[in-house]
Formats: sequence, C-alpha cells, structure tokens
Amino acid sequence: MSQRNAIGVDIGGTKILAATVDETGSVLEQIAVATPHSVELVQAAVVQSVRTLLTRHEAHDLGVAAAGLVDHHTGRVRFAPHISWRDEPIRDNLAHALRGDGITSVTLENDANAALCAEWRFGAARGRDHVLLVTVGTGIGGALMSSGQIMRGTNGMAGEFGHMQYAPDGRPCQCGLRGCWEQYASGRALSMQMQSGGELLTGQAILRAANDGDPEAQRAFFMVGQALGLGLADLIAALDPELILIGGGVSMAGELLLGPTRSAMSTRLVGGRHRRVADLDVVALGPAAGAIGAAELARGGAPSL
Amino acid sequence: MSSAIGVDVGGTKIAAGVVDSSGLILESLKVPTPAQDPDLIVQTIADLARQLGASDSVERVGVCVAGFVDRSRSGVLFSPNLSWRGVRLREQLQEALGGEVVIENDANAAAWGEFRFGGGKEADDLLAVTVGTGVGGGLVLAGELLRGGFGVAAEIGHLGLVPGGELCGCGNRGCLEAYGSGTALVRATRFAAHKDPVAAKRLIERASGDIAAIDGPMITEQAQLGDEFAKTQLAELGAWLGLGIANIAAVVDPSLVLIGGGVSQAGELLLQPIRDSYLKALSASRHRPILDVKVAELGNDAGLVGVADLARNSIGE
Repeated sequence: MSQRNAIGVDIGGTKILAATVDETGSVLEQIAVATPHSVELVQAAVVQSVRTLLTRHEAHDLGVAAAGLVDHHTGRVRFAPHISWRDEPIRDNLAHALRGDGITSVTLENDANAALCAEWRFGAARGRDHVLLVTVGTGIGGALMSSGQIMRGTNGMAGEFGHMQYAPDGRPCQCGLRGCWEQYASGRALSMQMQSGGELLTGQAILRAANDGDPEAQRAFFMVGQALGLGLADLIAALDPELILIGGGVSMAGELLLGPTRSAMSTRLVGGRHRRVADLDVVALGPAAGAIGAAELARGGAPSL
Repeated sequence: MSSAIGVDVGGTKIAAGVVDSSGLILESLKVPTPAQDPDLIVQTIADLARQLGASDSVERVGVCVAGFVDRSRSGVLFSPNLSWRGVRLREQLQEALGGEVVIENDANAAAWGEFRFGGGKEADDLLAVTVGTGVGGGLVLAGELLRGGFGVAAEIGHLGLVPGGELCGCGNRGCLEAYGSGTALVRATRFAAHKDPVAAKRLIERASGDIAAIDGPMITEQAQLGDEFAKTQLAELGAWLGLGIANIAAVVDPSLVLIGGGVSQAGELLLQPIRDSYLKALSASRHRPILDVKVAELGNDAGLVGVADLARNSIGE
C-alpha cells in the first residue's frame, strides 16, 4: 500500500511550520523555524525546510499557506501585513527552486483557507458544508465555506474578518484604518485590556492569570469575548453559517472566552427567535492545521473551487 | 426555451409575471397584498399564477417573499410585513397549483436576477443591495446564490455599524438599516431640516412648507437640481452604505456592488459617496483591486425575474 504524502508549509508572522502529511491528515514529521525578516530569507527557509523533509519521506506536491492577501489563481501574495511581501510570486519562485528536488506541483493558499480545509477534511468541521473559521491570534483571520466550497472572492481576498469596521473612528489598526474588529477581539486586544503598568502581557500569561482567579485577567477575556461575539453576529447576518469554528492562540481559553462570546452574539443577532443559529466551537487540529490543509490542497483532496 | 412564472410578494403589493429564458417579462399582473390575512396571501399568489397559465401552459413557478426562507426553500420562517410565521408556503402552493414551486427570499431573488440578466452579467461575485424601507442584501459568490447554512444569509441591513446606536426595527441598535435605508434618509433629512431650515429652504418649499411631508423622491429630485442640502443628505446615506459594503468586501471580496431600490434613482449623487466611504473603510485598499459600485438594472422587476429563473433552473435538479 503506497500512501501519497504531501508537504504543507505554513508561513506565519513569527514562524514557518513545514510538515509532511499523509492522506489521513496525520503529520509524519514537522519542522518549525523562526520567520526571517527579508523576503529572500523567507523563501530560502521554506526551500531548506522542504528539502530536509524530503530526505525522510517522498512527496511531489507542495502546498504553501501564507498569512496575507493571497491570489490563489496567480500564486502571488499581494500583501502580507507581517512580512514585507508586495505582489510576490511565491508559487512560481518555489516551484522553480524545488523542481530539481522532485516537487512537481506547488499550490499557494491563504493560511486560514488552508486551515479550514484541514478542519473540514479531518477536524471539527467534518460533515458540515457552511462553515466559518475565525482565527483569533495576534489579529483575526478567517475563512468561509459555502456548500462545501471555499469562498475566495473575486480577488482571492475573502475572509479578512479582522478588518471589518467594528467601531467607527476607533482604535488605530496596523492596516492603516481605525476601528477594525481585530483591535477589539484579538490577542492584541487582550493584552491592551491588561495594560495597566505599561508592559504588555502575552495571551498565555493572561490566560494563566485568569485561571488563577485574577479579576483583571478575567475581565479582559470577558471584554474580548464580548467584542468577538458582537462581530460574529455581523458575520452571521452576512453569511448565516451552520458552524463557526474559533481557532488561533486565544481560542485556547475555551469557555472563558466563548461564554461571553455566545451571550453577546445571541443578543446582537437579527431575527434571533425565528432562525436556527450557528454552533460555536473551537478548532480540533491545533497549530498544524494550516500546514495540514495546505498539504491536502496540494494533493487535490480538499475542496479547491 | 421555456418560460416560467415569477411572483414577488412584497409588504404592499404582489407582482407576478411570465418570464422567458432571456429574462424578458412577457405578461404581468399586480395586486395589493392582503397583508393581514396570511391564508389569503397564499390564495392570491395561487390565483395570480393560475391566471398567468400555471398548471396549464407554464409548469414552473417561483415565488419570492420579503422574509426569512428556510434552507430547504420550502417554508417562510418569519416575515415581519406579511404576518407569516412558519408558513409551509411551497407545500400549500404546490397543492393549489399541482406542480413544482420554488421559494426564495426577495433580495436573494433580486441579486440572482441582476446576476443572470441585469447589471451583474459580467461578475462572478456580487452583492446586490436594495435600499428601500429597509436595506436588503443578496450575495452571489462564485456564480452561486449564497443562502447560508439555514437559509438566511446576506441580511446586510443588520450589520451592526454603531455600537449602542439608533434603534432598528429588528430590535437591535446601530444596524446599517437604521442609517442606510430610505426610511433613515427621510428621518435624517427631516431632522436636519428642523435644525437648519434656511439651508433646507427649497426642500421644505417642495414639501409645501411641511417638514414632516418631506419624502424620498423629493430629496432625490431636489438633489438632482443641485440643492446642496439635499445632496448632503444623500451623501450621508451613501457614507453609511459604503461602510457596510466595505465590511462585506472584507468578508467575501465581491467584484461588484449593485444598488437598487427607490433611492438608487439618485445615481451618482448616491454612488460617489458610497465609493468614497467604501475606499476609506477598506483595509489594504492600495494593495487590492477596487470593486465597482453601480445602479441595479432591473429595477422593481429584479425579484420576479430572478425567482422565475431560479424556478426554471431548479426543476429536475
């Protein structure tokens, strides 16, 4: 029995995770390296990681998931907030660099779309066809699936949930606007809620404090959970999913976050008494979801539109 | 190719027509909606369809309604203006007409009509916004109508734009509809006229001196004459709509937005403020193509034409 493995690489703002993934979605091996600062070094790090993985397991398909505005059709990253990519032809560059290593196809996808594919195929969204993935990390990303298809939008830029305008003229956002949702409902927002002495705490530290009974930390999760729920109500009004999966680091808080999220969401929902409302759940696959989904997309097993 | 019957059930009138496969209305009828009598509405729909040849020469009937339609497109979950709660509309009409009937939400049907035969023929991903009493929305993504998991997607009028803002008919505060509808335009304009009757002088004159009589068409007509006060009112409406559209663009990335409903007759006086506001509220706007904002082409017929086409396409699926 020959299993068809594929390699998935998730290029995030802080680390690059490369994994060899089998057809059941299991990670056979993975490598993580810190994301370098220059465009050339990022590409070199991906190539190096893939070559290392290829020494242990055979694979011909490479899927790359990247944070940012990804144009799936042209294989370019148009804009990435955390890496200085501007209209970078990542797919062709990698295909060229790895041709001699036996990689015959390279697929580029937005990281959240890849993670949703993984959850749909192997994780918490199995058997569901209308699903939103909302990743709550430093910022907010996301992806949407309708009738079993990933919806990318005309320019491949759908799912930028974090930049919905949540509060007119509100807090400044790295994207240049003010009042984006991710300034209120992300890991960064959580840290800002705690900013009493000037030093920003990490999400993990705030979670530990909240679990130890620190009222300020608990309040921070309440505020962020509430903002998350209000934004989700907008997404429900627009998209009416049957399932919303919350991923990203902040989702590790579980009910501490989702309790306030649920109650804010249901108070804000239009026609609440006359409709069924999406289930709210956390992702099942954890940090490797993007790489697993990218590998599955490269193999052609996930809905690729 | 075969024709189909489309019926658009609104809060005040029911319009029905025979529509050919190119989207052309061959024959049409219109009657007032007996809005207080849910059973009579169903009977009226069946009568209109029969008069147009249903269960006789035309086999396919599509009905669109202002309200939540369930995912299986068989019943109406909730319609605030038709006093329908959980009506099994498809079953009742199929019994009355003896053939297949397709049910759809009116804004969805209008989006589909524009996508197939109107202003959206060239687009794969579009948002159709109907600005009237409320703000309705329909989304076509990747060439398919987005219905959602439970059938009630694209309720863009109820995006929450202003935390703790104006009360909306849905019971929440700060919905787009409370700022960006025709109703909101009239309300805001009357307030502004009270506040600054000098600036509003000509508009007030048009309303025969009665601020409470100012209506939507008056505002549009006055703006088209170059009246700065009226133009400002339309610009503010457009700014709210642009903000809501930017949020939808962040979420689903369409290439086209079509504006329909009575206020859309203001044309560029409304569209340019929408575009300006959209651009201002769009993340990474320098790094992405910018969508088009245009006036919808099918006018009041969009729903009827769209639902007839859905009926034609769905049978035998």
